Amino acid sequence: MIRFIVRRLIVTAPLVLIVVSLTWGLIRLAPGSFYTSEKQLPPAIEKNIREKYGLNRPWYVQYGKMLANTARGDFGQSLKYTNQSVNAILWEALPVSATLGFLAYLLALVVGLTSGILAATRQNSRLDYASMATAMLGISLPNFVLGPLLVLVFSLTWFWLPPARWNGFSINLILPVLTLSALYMAYIARLTRSGMLEVLRSNYIRTARAKGLSERSVLVRHALRGGLLPVVSYSGPALAFLLTGTVVVERIFALPGIGNYFINANLNRDEPLIIGIVAFISIAVLVFNLLVDVAYGFVDPRVRY
Amino acid sequence: MNPMNPVNPVNLMNRLLQVRSRLDVVLVSLLALTAAACTTTASDGMYFGKTDPPKGQILRYVSGAEAESLDPQVSTGQPEARIYMAIFDGLTEIDPKTAQPIPGLAERWEHNSDNTEFTFHLRDARWSNGDPITAEDFVYSFRRGLTPELAARSAYMAYDILNAQAFNEGSVFAQDPATKEFVADPENPKLRLVLPGDPQERASAVQSRNLTALVRGKVFVGPRAEDIGVDAVDAHTLRLRMSRSVPFVPGLMTHQFFRPVPRKAIEQWGVHWTRPEHIVTSGAFMLKTWRPYDRLVVVRSPSYWDAANVHLDEITFIPLEDQTTIMNLYKAGEIDGFLNHTVPAAWIDYIRPLKDYMDAPELANEYYQINITQPPMNDVRVRKAFNMAVDKVALSHFRRVTKPLTSFVPEGIFPEYPRPAGDPFDIARARALLAEAGYRNSRDEYDPSKFPIRDVELIYNTTDNNRQVAEFVQAQWKQNLGLTVPIKNVEWKTFLDKRAKLDYKGFARSGWVGDYMDPFTFLNIFSTPKGDNGTGWWDKKYVDILTEANRQPDPEKRFAIMARAEKMLLDAQPVLPLMSNATNWMKKPYVKGMYPNPETLHAWKYVYIEHDPALWDRDVPIMTSR
Repeated sequence: MIRFIVRRLIVTAPLVLIVVSLTWGLIRLAPGSFYTSEKQLPPAIEKNIREKYGLNRPWYVQYGKMLANTARGDFGQSLKYTNQSVNAILWEALPVSATLGFLAYLLALVVGLTSGILAATRQNSRLDYASMATAMLGISLPNFVLGPLLVLVFSLTWFWLPPARWNGFSINLILPVLTLSALYMAYIARLTRSGMLEVLRSNYIRTARAKGLSERSVLVRHALRGGLLPVVSYSGPALAFLLTGTVVVERIFALPGIGNYFINANLNRDEPLIIGIVAFISIAVLVFNLLVDVAYGFVDPRVRY
Repeated sequence: MNPMNPVNPVNLMNRLLQVRSRLDVVLVSLLALTAAACTTTASDGMYFGKTDPPKGQILRYVSGAEAESLDPQVSTGQPEARIYMAIFDGLTEIDPKTAQPIPGLAERWEHNSDNTEFTFHLRDARWSNGDPITAEDFVYSFRRGLTPELAARSAYMAYDILNAQAFNEGSVFAQDPATKEFVADPENPKLRLVLPGDPQERASAVQSRNLTALVRGKVFVGPRAEDIGVDAVDAHTLRLRMSRSVPFVPGLMTHQFFRPVPRKAIEQWGVHWTRPEHIVTSGAFMLKTWRPYDRLVVVRSPSYWDAANVHLDEITFIPLEDQTTIMNLYKAGEIDGFLNHTVPAAWIDYIRPLKDYMDAPELANEYYQINITQPPMNDVRVRKAFNMAVDKVALSHFRRVTKPLTSFVPEGIFPEYPRPAGDPFDIARARALLAEAGYRNSRDEYDPSKFPIRDVELIYNTTDNNRQVAEFVQAQWKQNLGLTVPIKNVEWKTFLDKRAKLDYKGFARSGWVGDYMDPFTFLNIFSTPKGDNGTGWWDKKYVDILTEANRQPDPEKRFAIMARAEKMLLDAQPVLPLMSNATNWMKKPYVKGMYPNPETLHAWKYVYIEHDPALWDRDVPIMTSR
C-alpha cells in the first residue's frame, strides 16, 4: 500500500505542472492584462509597468520563472493586490473556505447517511418517499436560489441570522453551511439509499441473516460497509471542491474565501494568483482522490493494492 | 402592506415579462416576497429595513471592490479613494456636499494670472507618528509618484506639472555641453524641448519634426527629479509650476495620486509600508486592521490637526461588490451605508420613495463611441442620423436612475457651465440625413435596404445594465430607421482591448467618470487621438479652443470658451451621448453629515451617528441644485 501511495504521489507532480502550464497558456490567450482599466494608460506608463513586472521578457523566460515558482511552492506577488504575496493570500483565505467546506460536508454526511439508510431499510414507505422527494428538491434547487431564499426568510423577514459576512466561527456560518451542504446532502442520501438497497439484496447479507445475526448488526457490520462505497468515491472530489472554496456561496454570503479570490483573479488577469489557486485546487483534488482510493481498501475487503 | 409599495400582482407580472435573465426573475420574486413580509419588519415604511443605530460613534460602510493597495500613488480606483478620504489628507479636500475643493492640508492657496503657477500654504499638521507634515513631504511624494520604476498608473494625472511627463516617460532634453543651456521647444519657447529617450525613436522624431539643426552638437540628458515643477519654498509653502494653464489644479489636488506619503516609513519598510503595523497616515483616521475581502478598520487619529472636530471613533470599510448581498446587509441593519450604483434596477421603483435613498446627479456620463475611421460611420451625416434616431428621454425613463443627455458634459453638476445642446430626437431629420448620405431609392426617399448594415455593430461589456441599454437602442434604430444593428457582448478586458485598438465596427459602449470637478475632465478625453478617445476623431482646432479656455483667468469666460469646444465635438459627433447618471446609493437616517455629492466621496470627519430619532435625516436634498 505504501508503494501504491508513493507511486500515485509521483504522478501528482507532473500532473499539477501540466494543469498549471495549460492555465498559464490560457491566461496568455485572454486579451487585456491586469493593468487595463476603463481609463486608457499612456504608452509610456504601460511600458513602465511591463518593465517592472518583467512582462517584456521573452515568453519562455516568463514561463520558466512561473514553473520554477510553482515547483518551489512560492507563487510570487499578486499583480492586482500590489505588495501582497499569493501565498499569504491563500493562507488567509484557506481557513475560511476550509471551515465552511468541512462543516458543510459534515452536515451533508450526517443528514445524508441517516436519511439514506432509513429510506433503504424502509423502502417504499412514506419515510422513503418523503426523504427522497426532499433529496430531489435539494439536487434541483441551485444554491444561488436556495441561498437568497434562506436569507430572505431567516435574515430579512425574521431577522434571526445575519444575511452575510464572515465573523469567525459564529452564527454567521449557519446559512452558508446549509446552502452549501444541501446539494451534497441530497446526493449522499440518494447514493446511500441505492448502495444499501443493492447490498441488502446480495448473497452475503442473506448469509448473515441466515447465520441468525440481529437485523441491527446485519445493517451496521455488513451492509453499511458495502453500501457506503459509492458515497466514499463521491466524497473525494466533493471534499476537494468544498474545502478549496465554493464560488457562488462565498459570493452570496460575502465570505473571504478562495472562491471569491479565484473569480476576481481571473477577471483581473492576476496571473500569479490564478496559477497559485489552480495549483492548489489541483493538488487538493489529486490528494483527495488518493485518500479515497486508500479508504476503499478499508471499506471494501475485495480491494487489494 | 406598505402603502408606498408599488408591487401589486399586475405590476409584478409586467415586470416579470420584462426581465429576462433568470437572476432578475429571482430578484423580483424575492422583492415581492420581501415586500409582502414588510408588515412584520421593524421599519415604519419610510426607510429600508432596520433603523437601529449602532452603539457609540461607529460607522460600517461598504466601499466596493477589495482595495488593490493602500499606497495612494499605486492604487487607482474609487474603492481605495473612499478609504483614503479617511486616512490620507490632500492639499485640498472635497466639500461633503458639492465635491468642490476646500482647504485640506493647505489652508489657502493662490495662483498667477495665467494659471501656470500655484502656491499652497500648509497648515500645522502632523503624521500619525507625530512628525510634522511639511512641503518637503509633498515634493518627495510627487517625485516618487512620477518615478518610472514605481510604474504608477495614475502618474498621467500629474503630467501637467512642469517636466513631470518627460521624467515619468524617460524622455530627454537637449543640452548645450558648453553653456549648459537647454534647447527650447520651437512650438512653445517657454518649455524645454522634450525628445524620446530611446535613441532610434529620438532620431526619427528629430527628423520628422525638422529639428536636426536645432539639436546638432547638443547632448541628451534625462530629466532629474529636481527638474519637476514642484518646490518647497519653505517648510510651509509649496509651489507648483505647470507646463500649461491648468485652472483646476485645486480640484486636481484632491485626487489620491497627490496625497502625501510618509517618506520615513517607505524608506524603512519598502513595499510593506502599507501594512497596519508599519503604515503612517495623515488623515482624521488611522489604520487599525486590514483583512482582505473581509474588513478594513480605521480609528480616530489623535495627532490629526482637526481631531477636535472628528466625530466618529471608528469606521469599518467592508469590501463588497454583490449588489443583492449589500442590499440584504443594509436591510438587516448590518451596515449603515454603501457605495454608489448599488441599488439594483429591479428594486428602484420600490426603493426610490424611501427617505434613505440617495439620489443626485453624478460626475459621470454614458455614451456610445463611434469608430469614424470606417464607412459608413466616417460620414458625419450617418453618425448624426443614428444619434437623432434614439429617444433619450424614453431611454432615461426606462433606466429610471438617469437623465437624458444630448451633450457630452453631464447635466446638473456644473450649474455655471453653459452646456451646448446636442441634436434633439428627430426621426424625420435622421431619415433625411441618411437619404442625403446616399442611402435612398429611385424616388430619392430613404431606403434602409441600401444601408450597409453588415458594417455596423454595437459592442458592450457584459453587464445586465449595458445589455438592457443596448437592446433599447437597438429597438429604437429598428423602429425609427428600419435598421437592425447587431449587438454583441464582450468580456470586460477583451472589450477594453478592442475599443482601444478601434477594433470595432460602428458603436462601442463607453462612459466616463470625472477625475476632478471641472467640465474639462470630460472634454479632455478628445484632446489626443490616442488614449481614452477611441473614436478616431481628432481635431487640432478643438485642442486649441480648450487651451485658450484654460488660459482664460475669468471662470465665466473660460466656461463659455469651453462650451464652444463641446459644441464642436457635438457637431462632429464621434460620440452618441446617452445619459447622465445618478449616484444611486443609500444610508441609514441616523448617519448624519453624509451627502449625495457628485463624486460619492465622503469627508468622513464630518460624519456622525445621531442617536435621537427626532434629528434623523428624512429628506436629503439634491445637492447640486441651487
